[in-house]
Amino acid sequence: MVNGSPIVEGFIEAINLIITLNPQVVEITIRSLYVSLTATFFAALIALPAGALIYFYEFRGKHAVVSTLQTLYALPTVIVGLVMFLFLSNIGPFGFLRLLYTPGGMIVTQTVLIIPLLMGLTVSALSGIDRDKRYTITALGASRFQTVTTIIIESRFAVMSGVLLGFGRAISEVGTVMIVGGNIRGATRVLTTAIALNTSMANYAMSIALGIILLAVALGVNITLSLVQRR
Amino acid sequence: MTVIEAQDVRKIYGDMEVLHDVGLAIREGEILGLIGPSGSGKSTLLRILDLIEPPSGGELSILGIDTVKERGRWLDLRRRMGMLFQRPIVFNASVYDNVAMGLRYRRASRSEIDRKVKEALEAVGLSRYIGSRATDLSGGEQQRVALSRVLVTDPEILFLDEPTANLDPGSTATIEAIVARMNRERGITVLISTHDLAQGQRLAHRIAVMIDGTVAQAGSPREIFHAPKDKKIARFVGVQNIIPARVISREGLTTVEVKERRIVSATPPPAEEVAVVIRGEDVSLHRREPGYEEAENLFPARVTAVEPMAPFVNVTVDCGCDIIALVTARRAEALELAAGMDVWVSLPAKVVHLVPRDG
Amino acid sequence: MKTNVTILSAGAILVLLVLAMFAGCTGTAPGENETPGATVTTPAAGAGVLKIATTTSLENTGLLAELERVYEGKTGMDLQFIAQGTGQALDTARRGDVDLVLVHAPALEEEFVDEGYGINPRCIAYNFFIIVGPESDPAGIKGMDPVEAFKTIYIAGTNNTPGVAFVSRGDNSGTHVQERTLWGEAGYDYEKEILDAGAWYVDAGKGMGDTLILADEKNAYTLTDEGTYLSFKDRLALVPVIEEGTELMNRYTAIAVSPEKHPDTNAKGAADFINWLISDEGKELVGDFGTAEFGKPLFIPLYPPECTGPPFNCICAEPVPA
Repeated sequence: MVNGSPIVEGFIEAINLIITLNPQVVEITIRSLYVSLTATFFAALIALPAGALIYFYEFRGKHAVVSTLQTLYALPTVIVGLVMFLFLSNIGPFGFLRLLYTPGGMIVTQTVLIIPLLMGLTVSALSGIDRDKRYTITALGASRFQTVTTIIIESRFAVMSGVLLGFGRAISEVGTVMIVGGNIRGATRVLTTAIALNTSMANYAMSIALGIILLAVALGVNITLSLVQRR
Repeated sequence: MTVIEAQDVRKIYGDMEVLHDVGLAIREGEILGLIGPSGSGKSTLLRILDLIEPPSGGELSILGIDTVKERGRWLDLRRRMGMLFQRPIVFNASVYDNVAMGLRYRRASRSEIDRKVKEALEAVGLSRYIGSRATDLSGGEQQRVALSRVLVTDPEILFLDEPTANLDPGSTATIEAIVARMNRERGITVLISTHDLAQGQRLAHRIAVMIDGTVAQAGSPREIFHAPKDKKIARFVGVQNIIPARVISREGLTTVEVKERRIVSATPPPAEEVAVVIRGEDVSLHRREPGYEEAENLFPARVTAVEPMAPFVNVTVDCGCDIIALVTARRAEALELAAGMDVWVSLPAKVVHLVPRDG
Repeated sequence: MKTNVTILSAGAILVLLVLAMFAGCTGTAPGENETPGATVTTPAAGAGVLKIATTTSLENTGLLAELERVYEGKTGMDLQFIAQGTGQALDTARRGDVDLVLVHAPALEEEFVDEGYGINPRCIAYNFFIIVGPESDPAGIKGMDPVEAFKTIYIAGTNNTPGVAFVSRGDNSGTHVQERTLWGEAGYDYEKEILDAGAWYVDAGKGMGDTLILADEKNAYTLTDEGTYLSFKDRLALVPVIEEGTELMNRYTAIAVSPEKHPDTNAKGAADFINWLISDEGKELVGDFGTAEFGKPLFIPLYPPECTGPPFNCICAEPVPA
């Protein structure tokens, strides 16, 4: 490298960017949070009831469904990105929605991405209620509906942990949002794609600044997670 | 009046038969102790009687209702009963909310819940924890929370599944006292399973013994402990002497031959091949031949082993047959018992119980 | 099981629909205007968005951000650039996922227009590709013409001459197309002879900026557009080795997506933007870009009649019908 120490300089400049609330940094951070929080919200809306259904209803192949979900945790995000890209592109079945290269499309994709995770974690959160607890609920005279609500309330912290994990995965994910969002400045550029771009433009200060923020968000999620799990 | 009547109840998990041919009747207002080794099916039976799980077959009537025919009334029946489990179960909520659960399920009014929960916590001595998180309490306190959670619902029948197995002696005593009082004052019928024989004797009016997935014998504690029906029950209730014997005479009292020694028993022989069942504490040892002794069996013997089992001492004597006597440590000291010493053994015919040799 | 699937898919479709409504008004996404003092007029919903697929070499110079700032401030149209390689950008346009392309690979552009996907191509500006490499010039190509230089690099590379390496974009971008053309002119079959030529030929699969950084780390030669090189210059030890030769001419063209192929694209917005690009105002902006920062402009705007003759042979001034 020609410059003395671009890393140290970049770091100092990055701190400066954050402290002075650089409009670009703020804007990208807010968009990242907006996209991932919305995606987590919709994913939870679908995955929590679906996970509960899987847990409470006995059906053939239930075991297979649960292990499929667990396999999907490890689904490469780029694959999700590719599939969603093909769905949302103008030539795909949902092309008419014009969602490709929009925040909406990124939200849908992140939603799809974390639904298996949320569903699986919901099932295991509910399974965390042991047999004796379920017997106790029944023995106390709970109706079927009361049993379901009691179990859900009892596992609320574990379910919340799952949702937080899902959010963490959504916001730190780069492959799908790059493919589906297109990394459009001012429209679909989020923390991860902006870091990738700025690094490729050798704009290390901006990358480091956004990296610090992403790290802070991840750290925040983890701290909340451990607070929740301690309960 | 019988509140629970079970006949031929079976339970099968997969290809494991956990319960078979269970017959049991529980009378209103009694405390029935259900004893048996672990794995004998006590917990499963309790869950079936509390209608938590359906039996795989058999007849079960609870509070006069045929539960096989009237499945629609299970919830209703369940709400008239209560169950406390071995492991203290509390929910991740305040002590108040924990105790209120059953009442909320029954849609009790807010003021009623409030009154009853406070009363119940007062009764188990946990009022000061009313707002605490239940999971923060100790095991003994959690079990008291669980007990008051059951009691606030005023159950007519209370099932206790080894409720003190994991608790310290203090908490055990508290729980036992509460259960005994509830039975005495409110007339709640109680079915308590335990592997603690002493607890069974302390609390229960009647005892049922479960062995290998079925109720092997039910009766008064005296019957169970002194007149077990077979060798397995005898072994489980802690009989020290179970010795094979041959019936020699049935005239009046039964005479059996144990090795070279003839022993007289008050039990009519249940079979030709029998085993003699004698509780260690029923065997009396003497330093010299007692002149006044009215026991039907009196014979000299030699002490072969002295084994302290505080607060008792197990004394093995050779009298042509090996018999173990259980004497208090103090009496053993007074008799100056030691191996090789000659003693006299006296054994009333009524403490010599006979069971079939096989089984 | 079956009910679950039904419920799930119903839920998924519901969410898609809800989000579709969202997408209709992307203008409501927070922090829409990142350039301070740029636009006061928030672009109107739907019709006010113009999606442009373009190349990383344009994005990396910062020209796009400048165009966006000025044009958005002037018209209120929300320009959204998706930076890809030229080949990928044209594919995106073929699918109708964007309204306009801004690319630099004449052969691919021609194909795109001939297939009927692109209409109204207008060349905007040009600059030169340059071959950059380590100052020591281990292959000794300084002063050669580009085709000769490529031959020399090939021979030096396949002979394992120490220090000789070449990094290729490898992403079907305009620069990559240009590179392949040069190998062809040097007499090599790209697929057969170059791709597997040995360790000296590095296929990066990255954008222009990344490729420059990679070449710098490896002390290798690479082909780059001058604009990106200039904007990265002070972070690189690489120096321009060959800067001359008509083979290295790099022309940028704007092409609208045909509304006949994709009726739901923003054809009017595309036409307006192309017309602004070829207006004097647009060309001056492009022609001035970079002067302040790099001491010389990064792009040379094309004016008639120069553009209509060789080596450009394109339309650069005739307004397109809106």
